Amino acid sequence: MTKATCEDTFIVKKRDLKYDYFSLVLAPFSQTAKLNPGQFVHIRLPSTDIYFRRAFSVAAIFPKKKEVEIIFKVFGRGTRLLGDLESGDRLDVMGPLGTSFVFPQRNERTVMVAGGVGFPPLMFLAEELVKHGYNPQSIEYFYGGRKGTDLVERSRIKKLGVNLHLITDDGSLGEKGWVTQPVEQFIKRHAHSKVRMYGCGPERMLKATDDLGLKYNIPGQLALEALMPCGVGICLGCVVAVKAGGYDRVCIDGPIFDIGVIKFEP
Amino acid sequence: MEFANPIMTASGCAGYGEELAELYPLSKLGALVTKSITRKPRAGHPPPRTVETPGGMLNAIGLANVGIDSFLKDKVPFLEKQKTKVIVNVAGSTIDEYVYVCSRLADCERVDMVEINISCPNVDEGGIEFGSNTAMTEKSISEVRKVFKRPIIAKLAPNVTSVVDIAKAAEQGGADALSIINSVIGTSVNINTWEPLLTNITGGLTGPAIKPIALAMVRDVYGSCRLPIIGIGGITDYKDVVEYLLCGATAVQVGTALFVDPTSPLKIVDGLKKYLKTKKLNAVTDLIGKVKNL
Repeated sequence: MTKATCEDTFIVKKRDLKYDYFSLVLAPFSQTAKLNPGQFVHIRLPSTDIYFRRAFSVAAIFPKKKEVEIIFKVFGRGTRLLGDLESGDRLDVMGPLGTSFVFPQRNERTVMVAGGVGFPPLMFLAEELVKHGYNPQSIEYFYGGRKGTDLVERSRIKKLGVNLHLITDDGSLGEKGWVTQPVEQFIKRHAHSKVRMYGCGPERMLKATDDLGLKYNIPGQLALEALMPCGVGICLGCVVAVKAGGYDRVCIDGPIFDIGVIKFEP
Repeated sequence: MEFANPIMTASGCAGYGEELAELYPLSKLGALVTKSITRKPRAGHPPPRTVETPGGMLNAIGLANVGIDSFLKDKVPFLEKQKTKVIVNVAGSTIDEYVYVCSRLADCERVDMVEINISCPNVDEGGIEFGSNTAMTEKSISEVRKVFKRPIIAKLAPNVTSVVDIAKAAEQGGADALSIINSVIGTSVNINTWEPLLTNITGGLTGPAIKPIALAMVRDVYGSCRLPIIGIGGITDYKDVVEYLLCGATAVQVGTALFVDPTSPLKIVDGLKKYLKTKKLNAVTDLIGKVKNL
């Protein structure tokens, strides 16, 4: 594992993606080039009453400029504070942390299952795959949300050349329903192809993706989210139950877990 | 016993040292205090196990640990290679369990000291039951004393009527030092669902929020007990350490701050050196118990 460091960085670019979604580009971070898709950075907020860092999966890297991009939705006190920061503000960043996605085999079709604000690590993975010469047309990016306004950065994902499928609970954009429904249809249509799945999103979406993987015998990985006090494996606060028994730490044993490993709540 | 510096990690905040060793050499620490070890492995409580609170956190990890067998087999070989003092924290639900675990540790030369956790607020039995009763405190320490000949630290709970009485009982039982304090019992509730935020309902409050409580207890015990004190509670920077030393601590443990910045002990050691220089003092021992009007 690459040694994580804590460094002072600056917000070099802030984008308001509307409807409470923000993108922040942080630099200079010396470990930028070592950040792999699925890994996260742990950010200390400039506040005396918010004690813990906040974990964010990496959305993109720009190694030449030592820039790291994170994308988040304002949800609680921490993200509210982060969303109120401006370009030039300072942030202490720790990383690289956690495990990363294993790339698919060259002969596999890649299915990404992104739910709402879980999309950034999969966008990063898709971008890296394309950069590494994977055919973008072999990548299906299923992007689901509650409503159309939850599906941000669509044109950016589209520009990678992947097959982008939009799905919303209320049908306000793309297909109506749950993201895992068209995923299952795709799997059935390609029963004779080798498929690999990657999922990141709300827990019930991860569980549905895990179920599909087990039902159709499709390998793949899930990116988990958890409240993480430390991010480096010492506090045991972010654990998740695993089928092998006991608990794994999301921060250091994950956040990327193989399909079939996690013991989801029924 | 000599330490490289007075900064130790607090039990439960640094695992068995492996993760921190990825970030810096453990020789930079005065001592590594391990997670509590019990006779059998414990998976710990189901999540959620932690809640962020103003100036700190609540935790109910539930003494998750590998158990004494695996500790000796799988963790000690790593610790053998580390050039720091190793203090093993020991928890139990019966006096027999403390004695059993300590007798196994007695055979392991790498273990420099044990810290007896008679104050864990997060388990159904044992732990705090021992530490909130003077007779039980004395008994558990004196029984461990019979099997463990190297130094014994008693880790005391703040949730007691008189921490001084408990400290004296530990001294009577044969403890060589006192760790003051363990976490403070607390809870937190979700106002939408009306459910507690922790699966275990209550947890231990740690972090800067408890520092004033711990400091007052260190000062009280320093005034009435001769044992060296290891101050614990909310230490984030060198200024906190100076306060603890002034109130009577000989050393300190950094806990929750490791979660915010795992390198904080290194920064504290540097800050402390600069403070001593500015104040024209030779050593940290010049600060111990020097608070005015003690």
